[in-house]
Amino acid sequence: MRRFLDRYWYAYAMVLPVVVVIAVLVLYPLAQGVYFTFTNINEGNIANPVLERPATFDFVGFKNYLNVLSGGDSFGAFWGTLVRTLIWTFSCVFFHYTIGLGLAMLLNRQVRGRTLYRVLLILPWAVPAFISAFAWKYMFNAQYGIINQLLRSAGLPDPVWLGQSNWALVSVIIVNTWLGVPFMMVALLGGLQSIPGDLYEAAEVDGATPWQRFRHVTLPGLRSVSSTVVLLGIIWTFNMFPVIYLIAGPNPNARILVTYAFERFFSGASRDYAIASTYGVLILSVLLVFATIYRRALRKQGEVW
Amino acid sequence: MTLDASSLQVVKATDRRLRRTDRSKGASIALHAALIGASAIAVFPVFWVFITSLKPDARAVEPTPKLFNESSLDNYTRVLSGEKGDFLAWFGNSVLIALMTTVIGVFISATAGYAASRFRFPGKRGLMMSFLLVQMFPFAVLIVPLYNILIALGLNGTSIGLVLVYCTTAVPFCTYMLKGYFDTVPADIDEAGRVDGLSPFGVFWRLIMPLAKPGLAVTAFYAFLTAWGEVAFASAFLSAADESKTLAVGLQVFVQQNRTEWGHLAAASILVAIPAIVVFYLVQRFLVQGLASGAVKG
Amino acid sequence: MAEVSYVKASRVFSGNPPVRAVDELSLEVADGEFLVLVGPSGSGKSTALRMLAGLEDIDEGAIHIGGKDVTNVPPKGRDIAMVFQSYALYPHMTVAENMGFALKLRGVAKTEIKAKVEEAAKMLDLTKYLERKPKALSGGQRQRVAMGRAIVREPSVFLMDEPLSNLDAKLRVETRANIAALQQRLGTTTIYVTHDQVEAMTMGHRVAVLKDGLLQQCDTPRALYDRPANAFVAGFIGSPAMNLKTVPITSEGAKLDGVIVPLSRDAIAAAGGLDEVTFGIRPEALGIVPSGEEGMEMTVELVEELGADALVHGAVKIGDASQRFVVRVDGRTPPTLGQHVKVAVRDHSEIHLFHPETGERLEA
Repeated sequence: MRRFLDRYWYAYAMVLPVVVVIAVLVLYPLAQGVYFTFTNINEGNIANPVLERPATFDFVGFKNYLNVLSGGDSFGAFWGTLVRTLIWTFSCVFFHYTIGLGLAMLLNRQVRGRTLYRVLLILPWAVPAFISAFAWKYMFNAQYGIINQLLRSAGLPDPVWLGQSNWALVSVIIVNTWLGVPFMMVALLGGLQSIPGDLYEAAEVDGATPWQRFRHVTLPGLRSVSSTVVLLGIIWTFNMFPVIYLIAGPNPNARILVTYAFERFFSGASRDYAIASTYGVLILSVLLVFATIYRRALRKQGEVW
Repeated sequence: MTLDASSLQVVKATDRRLRRTDRSKGASIALHAALIGASAIAVFPVFWVFITSLKPDARAVEPTPKLFNESSLDNYTRVLSGEKGDFLAWFGNSVLIALMTTVIGVFISATAGYAASRFRFPGKRGLMMSFLLVQMFPFAVLIVPLYNILIALGLNGTSIGLVLVYCTTAVPFCTYMLKGYFDTVPADIDEAGRVDGLSPFGVFWRLIMPLAKPGLAVTAFYAFLTAWGEVAFASAFLSAADESKTLAVGLQVFVQQNRTEWGHLAAASILVAIPAIVVFYLVQRFLVQGLASGAVKG
Repeated sequence: MAEVSYVKASRVFSGNPPVRAVDELSLEVADGEFLVLVGPSGSGKSTALRMLAGLEDIDEGAIHIGGKDVTNVPPKGRDIAMVFQSYALYPHMTVAENMGFALKLRGVAKTEIKAKVEEAAKMLDLTKYLERKPKALSGGQRQRVAMGRAIVREPSVFLMDEPLSNLDAKLRVETRANIAALQQRLGTTTIYVTHDQVEAMTMGHRVAVLKDGLLQQCDTPRALYDRPANAFVAGFIGSPAMNLKTVPITSEGAKLDGVIVPLSRDAIAAAGGLDEVTFGIRPEALGIVPSGEEGMEMTVELVEELGADALVHGAVKIGDASQRFVVRVDGRTPPTLGQHVKVAVRDHSEIHLFHPETGERLEA
């Protein structure tokens, strides 16, 4: 034991602050959150230290899970919402990645004004999300929004973007794409710059066309960056609630799992913490399953990650 | 490039030779057109908020928006004078909270990232995995348990409690990124430092931290943004008193039932965005390098 | 100034099975001595040096510096300076700051640091570059800064880990001489690691040869060349490498291609009872003889012209197999490709015999 401490105490001392913060502020609340899923806790029966009211909620077993997983409308139509969440996640990440990669490749060329372009293109990342949300909500407005004005003047149909239709989902996907592209672009630009130039020269000498160079040099060279940022992108997008919540509000057409959890949590007559937590645990489970499959697939392709 | 007389003559003789770096005119125009188009889309919403911020609330909701319409700086004056809520106090709270999050978040992720990069120790793998797990959990749903724990620690309603909560969301990604960045600093540098007489902490503080500036800049940017624009926790954990709100919470006063004061909201938004954009501008030249090494090494 | 000793020091990397990177190394280095650790990659030479520096654990045994047991002392307490293969210059510090960093950590006064740095810079011809960052220096200059960083500290032991391997060939030869001269002048005990046996032979007072974590032999360059302790050392030291062949042995001598190479009575006695021995002879101890004389029949396959002399590679039949031999001949009259020549032992005192299985030197 002494030898163990002798050898590792530097390392443990350096990770200790992070471990303490995460354990206290994540693991403990997480455990409590999981416990809530087996109760009927809500605003009315939770212990309230301010009013010195003791807790009166009861243990209900798996009732919350049964309610949610049976997919009833009064519990957020879980399966429909899950499908919408998947559509939302994959279309956002798809656009983030393809547009981000395209722009990164443009920026990776010798082009005049490259630094200026880069600064302008990363700007959406620097603007706080709630401000971007206001800006887009304003621009999407059906009556006085600039977007519909532009569409009308171009003779195109002007949908009610944030109304009770699937346009609401389209709108939030557009906004989230706008928000998320800079991160992908920057990460992929870094990845592109780390591909040694002589690989391209070797490919050119071997007679590869530009497309073949992209296919056989660029994409494999970006693989490790891509696998990381795509996984992160999927996790973040799956749980991205401010954009939808601030733009579309509690609109069921743009509802994803996490916004519904938040809705149950904050609105409604009785702030249903139990159902919100149940949703939280289900979201975590879905992501865990996904991450496990993802990593296994990567490992099968020989990627050590 | 140096040119001597003979090589100049050769160029003249063959009239025009194709250089490897040359691009056809059409390709150049297409490249710039694509970049200009993308930049316009990236900047437009911010530009439009700025345009709106100059209009009175009533003019901001006209069916056919114009670029300028009774534009003035009145919205800014009113927002700053505190007529619409104590904007300057909110601003101060936000700056304090964001800076504390940045300093604490970067420091603890740097120590953890360094340990993960340099030392092998039992539990390292578990630690890195738990970071990924933390990213997966929808934090919004943890508000009640978090609230309970902040009460237990006596930190509810204080900025430090909120700062710690922000750290938990920022730290996992920051640690991953800094670990990746530290991996690119050769271990020889550490050893040279040890031989020169530094302790392991000394190596970290005096050699690695100065060398990791690009990585630290990106991490700082990320941590700052995490705290600067956050709404849900800030509205749940800070006391309801007007002078203890952050900007993100305070700005909700402009969004009242059925009637949004778009002009004022836009002006306030621009004021909020400025510090974030300044921070962004300061670190942007490090962003590509810093983020890449972090993400590549994962 | 201090002497260094390894006392059965081992470094064991955990694994299955555990790897003994350095295995019970025992070595005494005298005060002021220049000792070179040489061996192929993976021989444990760098690990041995890093154990001395305190950068690797000493899992068994002990290490003493200046008579003091430093086995559990961290690097900063060992009074050593190290030159790394990559130089490991601090990129964010100027040359002067790099060189003075250790002194600054020790709390030496600024003026004194400045004086010492300037003195070392003068010695290494770096005065012009003191305010530059390492990035703005050439490879040779960086190498000298790394040396300067070590000198300024005035440590009791210098440790150098392949300090020349990132230089081009010409600069390497030049710097080799400079380092040896500098060490002579400062008189500081120096342990120098290299994989290049020429470097080892030209620089070291003594050379320790390692293989698979085990010390093979530690002696002066001359003694290593003349009396290698085993077949490995014999093949490793000397360029081109010694011809080492397993051949049958009779009571008169070793049998090569029908020719009996006579051996001394002592040698035959040492090989007593063996049917075969590993027979070693350096290319320079062989020679081409006129076709009438007795010798081995060799077909020339390759001639390497070195200017002053030439190396002739060719095939000789030993038993049923054809074996390659290298012979050093006068550069002005080399044989041509495909030619059949007669090769004979020029100097019988330069024949080395080794045990065919253990590789140990056979001697009375």
